[in-house]
Amino acid sequence: MAPKQIDHLIKMANQIALNTGAHTDIADSARRTGEHLRKFWTPAMREQLGEYCASGGEGLEPVVEQVLREMSP
Amino acid sequence: MLQFYEPEKDYGTPASTATETVTLTIDGVDVTVPAGTSVMRAAAEAGIKVPKLCATDSLEAFGSCRVCLVEIEGVKGYPASCTTPVSEGMTVRTQSDYLGDLRRNVMELYISDHPLDCLTCPTNGDCELQDTAGELGLREVRYGYEGANHLAVEKDTSNPYFTFDPSKCIVCSRCVRACEEVQGTFALTIDGRGFESKVSAGQAQSFMDSECVSCGACVDACPTATLAENSIIEAGIPEHSVVTTCAYCGVGCAFRAELRGNTVVRMTPYKDGKANEGHACVKGRFAFGYATHKDRITEPMIRDSIDDPWKVVSWEEAIAHTAARFRAIQDQHGRNSIGAISSSRCTNEEVYLIQKLVRSGFGNNNVDTCARVCHSPTGYGLKTTLGESAGTQTFASVAKADVIIVMGSNPTEAHPVFGSRLKKRLREGAKLIVIDPRGIELVDSPHIQANHHLAVNPGSNVAILNALAHVIVTEGLQDEAFIRARCDNGQLEKWMAFIRDPRHSPEQNEADTGVPAAQVRAAARLYAEAGNGAIYYGLGVTEHSQGSTAVMGIANLAMLTGNLGREGVGVNPLRGQNNVQGSCDMGSFPHELPGYRHLSDSTTRRMFEREWNVRLDPEPGMRIPNMFDAAVDGDFKGLYCQGEDVAQSDPNTQHIEAALSSLECLVVQDIFLNETAKYAHVFLPGASFLEKNGTFTNAERRISPVRRVMPPLSGKEDWEVTVDLANAMGCPMDYHHPSQVMDEIARLTPTFHGVSYDKLDAQGSIQWPCNEAAPEGTPTMHVDQFVRGEGYFALTEYVATDERANRRFPMLLTTGRILSQYNVGAQTRRTDNTAWHPEDVLEIHPHDAEERGIADGDWVGITSRVGDTVLHAQISSRVKPGVVYTTFHHPVSGANVITTDNSDWATNCPEYKVTAVEVAKVSQPSAWQARQKQFDRRQHQLLEEATDA
Repeated sequence: MAPKQIDHLIKMANQIALNTGAHTDIADSARRTGEHLRKFWTPAMREQLGEYCASGGEGLEPVVEQVLREMSP
Repeated sequence: MLQFYEPEKDYGTPASTATETVTLTIDGVDVTVPAGTSVMRAAAEAGIKVPKLCATDSLEAFGSCRVCLVEIEGVKGYPASCTTPVSEGMTVRTQSDYLGDLRRNVMELYISDHPLDCLTCPTNGDCELQDTAGELGLREVRYGYEGANHLAVEKDTSNPYFTFDPSKCIVCSRCVRACEEVQGTFALTIDGRGFESKVSAGQAQSFMDSECVSCGACVDACPTATLAENSIIEAGIPEHSVVTTCAYCGVGCAFRAELRGNTVVRMTPYKDGKANEGHACVKGRFAFGYATHKDRITEPMIRDSIDDPWKVVSWEEAIAHTAARFRAIQDQHGRNSIGAISSSRCTNEEVYLIQKLVRSGFGNNNVDTCARVCHSPTGYGLKTTLGESAGTQTFASVAKADVIIVMGSNPTEAHPVFGSRLKKRLREGAKLIVIDPRGIELVDSPHIQANHHLAVNPGSNVAILNALAHVIVTEGLQDEAFIRARCDNGQLEKWMAFIRDPRHSPEQNEADTGVPAAQVRAAARLYAEAGNGAIYYGLGVTEHSQGSTAVMGIANLAMLTGNLGREGVGVNPLRGQNNVQGSCDMGSFPHELPGYRHLSDSTTRRMFEREWNVRLDPEPGMRIPNMFDAAVDGDFKGLYCQGEDVAQSDPNTQHIEAALSSLECLVVQDIFLNETAKYAHVFLPGASFLEKNGTFTNAERRISPVRRVMPPLSGKEDWEVTVDLANAMGCPMDYHHPSQVMDEIARLTPTFHGVSYDKLDAQGSIQWPCNEAAPEGTPTMHVDQFVRGEGYFALTEYVATDERANRRFPMLLTTGRILSQYNVGAQTRRTDNTAWHPEDVLEIHPHDAEERGIADGDWVGITSRVGDTVLHAQISSRVKPGVVYTTFHHPVSGANVITTDNSDWATNCPEYKVTAVEVAKVSQPSAWQARQKQFDRRQHQLLEEATDA
């Protein structure tokens, strides 16, 4: 995958986490981030970021990593 | 509906809004009217015409012409019927020999100083002076025509759309009063006294050099040919008219398109149009010439590569070719490798069909609309907090507001007809808070002075909204009864604890917002203690990395203060384009079906599956930026783009260009070869709003009819093209008129159950929800209960954008719109509106300009982290130090070459309003501009070389 798309996915996922309280209420943020990814992201985008997370996930907010791990089959 | 031309009935004075009635007798006829009605209007309502010249029902009575004199039993003299209110039992006589003599005497004076050129006059047959002379039986002018007169006074032809011919002026002041009362610009006055009295623009300037905004209210009000449209001077008065809806901004003004044959000669704002009530702006009223501009492309074209000349083909071949290309791409790259983008410039029916084609024909949900890049955060924010993705009021509601917040919106430029309503209310005494980095016109203009201008730093909207809420809560100014009764109390407690935290105080936020804390506190108190507080906002709220959060912050403020659910209050998103609301309503976002119902809702999905006879993918599709990212990565190969110019309007132009260049099949349906079409492989000629039937839904949820006033130049209305493409792709669509599409929408969408073309014809327009519970529509939402049940106070943590100024990029660029141009300018650049705005310029504060050695008019390079462009500098104190501003109406400006990929966290709405830049004096265009010029020239050459198949 070219860096452009994955860079955007990382940034978008981190933004979602930060705006749902990743630094104040981790559990709630994880719930809302997961819900957001399921409601608004295509399965392919979720899979791409999931694969990135599985391969190290550098730059991902911990909340995002947690969500992606929970989502992975 | 087509009607033979006849001016709209003029009742002489405005309608009274009183609820008590008064009964009087006029010419022996008993008439009952609301108290406060003028005798003139009461007579008109009874079908009795009183002659008049200085009166018109869009203006308050003036009583200067003395033609409308009447006799009233028990009243001495002959009062003017326009300035005399009715009273119970009054007996009025409008016709008598003596009244006839009096009126003729007045007319003789007027006519003695008026050219007797009726037969060659531009408004012959449409002139109130001529009509009145006829009605009064004027047969002679005893004063003769040789006395001192104004017949030789020169015309003012400076305005491209209308001519001012003072020789025909009767100094009735209607134009002056229209400029004041209706438009609120105060550009006109009566200069001099007695015989020397004359209408004067600005400081005795030409119309073009004055403050005139060319709204046309004066032209509309003029009872003679003194102010006449150039189109009428050239073509003559119309012979028939059709009522339709403007295709420019989200106000959605109703117009009478007035024609001679198939040629529109005038657009007259429609008095019965509830969005505009007879007013208009320079775009809607005058800038319609683009519809027949020589640049229109009216035949389908195809090509294999964007380096090839176009080949003109039949509709059949173009459709078959497109269908085959899309299917071939899907066969090779998978079902999800194609998608579509629709536009808010399209009708409801068109965007509905696009999303239906994608979901049921393409077999995926890769459909998005241009609201992605403007008001998608409104959808998210208002749905979350209030339960419905829509503004809460009518435009007329502003007339009952006591305190008005205008945030990130510039109504007098971008929504001018609403701007005029707003200014009228402010002149009546309502208070105003402007939250904007820039000093917009409402901050300080004739008879308007904002009580508070919170000149917030770009990117800190959420911080300032939190600060306002913090003050209200910590000072106990909230409407406790309202929030306890109407909102989710558990969430309310959480939010109260959140917002009380001192980190949200104006003092602690001052460094981020740049607004003195005392000013924030004063503004918060003013809004909280308003009887009726109304918030109007625009793209300055939504186009941020926290656009959705800011929308929720606004909804929180309104709930907190009980400012929802009645007239004069509310949360009002001012939509940029004409059908932003409608395109969102119609299921144009990749995650939801019409009526804002998520694809994962299996009940709704099954309803559509049954109606369309397909299986729908329950997973969301790609948003516009996702499509472009996937295109660059090679996963997305085919795009159907209807009415939208992403190459100019979307951020980070070079990324968009790379994405469009990566596509194997780009299909553009448009009226011009726009910037996106230069990358296209198929061009499907579109129809302008004058050439098709359908509906638009404006910012107040008002569904209004768009009616075909002339045949489509390409032979097809846009919806027909989508139907043909769908059928060619094996997705059956059997519609013969857009009314059938609306019937389907109504069947499938609870908020539209009661909408039909018949009802639109009967009511003129309908504000949704319109259904069994609200058969005539819903002017005000959330009256007794929020759509979501209980209002939800969303936590709105301020998260600063990544797009920050630093030493390399020390300034913040923010973008906006200008009155005379519209969006990417494809329409307005092809009209005489370019006289006002021939190019986009960069506004820079005098201090910043001086530091950089920049003088007004210099070429300046603007460099951001993603690109650079060059514009002329305009030194202006409207922007604060450290902030620069530009518009994006001209493609060559490359405003979006410098905007970045940053976007709203919830919706991916681009962060157009914050870009860190450096500005420096330069001597030549940027490399991108040089390339763009070359590419543009090449693509026009390929268009000229287009060959018939």
